[in-house]
Amino acid sequence: MAYAYLFKYIIIGDTGVGKSCLLLQFTDKRFQPVHDLTIGVEFGARMITIDGKQIKLQIWDTAGQESFRSITRSYYRGAAGALLVYDITRRDTFNHLTTWLEDARQHSNSNMVIMLIGNKSDLESRREVKKEEGEAFAREHGLIFMETSAKTASNVEEAFINTAKEIYEKIQEGVFDINNEANGIKIGPQHATTNSTLSGSQGGQQAGGGCC
Amino acid sequence: SKKASSFHEFARSTNDAWDIDDEEDEDFLAPIHPSSLPPTLLSTHQVPPLPPQQPINTTIEPDTGPGPADRLAPPTAEVRLQHEEANGRVVVKSSSEAQLNTNTVRSTLQKQQSLPVRPIIPLVARISDQNSSGAPIMTVRDKSRLDKFKYLLSCPNTDLEELRKHSWSGIPREVRPITWRLLSGYLPVNMERRDLVLKRKRDEYFGFIEQYYHSRTDETYKDTYRQSSGPTPPSMLTHPVFERILFIWAIRHPASGYVQGINDLVTPFFVVFLSEFVEEDVENFDVASLPLDTQRNIEADSFWCMTKLLDGIQDNYTFAQPGIQNKVKALEELVSRIDEDIHNYFKRYEVEYLQFAFRWMNNLLMRELPLRCTIRLWDTYQAEQEGFSHFHLYVCAAFLIEWRKEILSMVDFQGLLMLLQNLPTIHWGNEEVGLLLAEAYRLKYMFADAPNHYKR
Repeated sequence: MAYAYLFKYIIIGDTGVGKSCLLLQFTDKRFQPVHDLTIGVEFGARMITIDGKQIKLQIWDTAGQESFRSITRSYYRGAAGALLVYDITRRDTFNHLTTWLEDARQHSNSNMVIMLIGNKSDLESRREVKKEEGEAFAREHGLIFMETSAKTASNVEEAFINTAKEIYEKIQEGVFDINNEANGIKIGPQHATTNSTLSGSQGGQQAGGGCC
Repeated sequence: SKKASSFHEFARSTNDAWDIDDEEDEDFLAPIHPSSLPPTLLSTHQVPPLPPQQPINTTIEPDTGPGPADRLAPPTAEVRLQHEEANGRVVVKSSSEAQLNTNTVRSTLQKQQSLPVRPIIPLVARISDQNSSGAPIMTVRDKSRLDKFKYLLSCPNTDLEELRKHSWSGIPREVRPITWRLLSGYLPVNMERRDLVLKRKRDEYFGFIEQYYHSRTDETYKDTYRQSSGPTPPSMLTHPVFERILFIWAIRHPASGYVQGINDLVTPFFVVFLSEFVEEDVENFDVASLPLDTQRNIEADSFWCMTKLLDGIQDNYTFAQPGIQNKVKALEELVSRIDEDIHNYFKRYEVEYLQFAFRWMNNLLMRELPLRCTIRLWDTYQAEQEGFSHFHLYVCAAFLIEWRKEILSMVDFQGLLMLLQNLPTIHWGNEEVGLLLAEAYRLKYMFADAPNHYKR
């Protein structure tokens, strides 16, 4: 399928905070309460529309476990966006955010957009981390912030899409060098033919199938 | 072509290699080709294999019957097993029942197959008996195979080499638990020592529990415990048995600690040892309804067999997992030798082997195959020398090549990754695993002892 841009994401955070569930909810619109623990990294993808443009998101969902860190680190490089996830019902997952952030900043490109996500907002009765705390942490470190529920799908679309909007704006501002693929952004085959005629965009679609 | 020449080369050089192993070949022999061809050649899809359970035409299979000694040997192994667990309910499921169950499972699964991201495979399908591909009736050949196992198991000293040889092509369900205990080196070959050793090892394990388990919530071990219990694993794995086994293993192997994936490796042992006592599907079975002694024995045996397995692949789970990194590299190297098209295709679309094969190595393909297939695979891994640590590499290569057509039909990175992460094996049974293993054996034969082939 043709697209204007391709953005690469990485999802990080402690084990059990709901990274895989967020991805599944976003790509498949379903929730799987019981699932296998992620081993290494897993891949997902979906197309979204921003500003009338088709944007392909390719997402690496990483295992939260410390022992896999040497594998997962290599996926920071080449990511344009990161979702940093904690669990609002587990204080320790919030406490570990600083470590995750240091890791991300150290191994990614400096323009990477980071979205902080407090997941499991449906479990209000078991909440251990106030929404204000999440907001404060995000403000302090220059991140975007949202609370989500992979279970009810609340804010899941928004989390992925707002991250993409932020990346898109940075592209418009010329912050990202879109010709350097190491930034996690790729120009789609359609983009090159935006100004051409209808037949031109059809050609773009075909090319989109065969290349990327 | 290159392939054909290596095929003939292989056929020539292995013509005599099969005389010793004729037993193991039967799964792949087509009726019109008696044992003059190595089975691995037949498995390369040049000759369609028999439907697996079709009764064999005995006129062309002179070797399949048991020898006179086997015929005379009383099937004592089974009796002994029953005796050993006098309190347990030892039930052998009737084959017709098994067939019925399997059919239900298969139709459920077919519906699920269309789900794109890692569908939940119902446990029932993952662990139900391996006869998903047929076998309503025990064939003459099955019977004679079983008799051979029973004979070997009833000898005062079980001949491990013989047992390995026969196990390579799959262990009959009835004798799998005891055969696994023997092949893993947990149970002594000497019949007289078995009860004593089992008792001692089981006591030893529960000694560890007494010594350490109460400390699981201590500061030192908290992480180990939290991680081995995991956040939301499938229902059976939340069973305290799994937590205990993994915790004790982690405590006794501080260099490895606990790596996600190890928990998967307990399951086949647990399910196989449980199958001795469970009539219905293991998924719906409440382990707590078994006599306490039986529960404890299953737990201790699973612990020790898993420990033996992990001893052989320890560098998979030490810091930075060097064993896995090396095996993924070796896989890449091997695939570049045996299938340039796939290798170049991956290069062209920037697919890295680590992106899909890490999990293959870390979880021994357990995430890629239904549990019944893993159990069958492990029959062979335990029969092979260095099955888990070395032969697995060739199985992975064969597994990758199995999807050649699908791989080469993908048109982008995304398609390739989605395919490689969700390979449609949900319907797989014994035949598919048998073919996979035969191909892996062929690869191992060609490359393992020929470093010049293997290295660039």
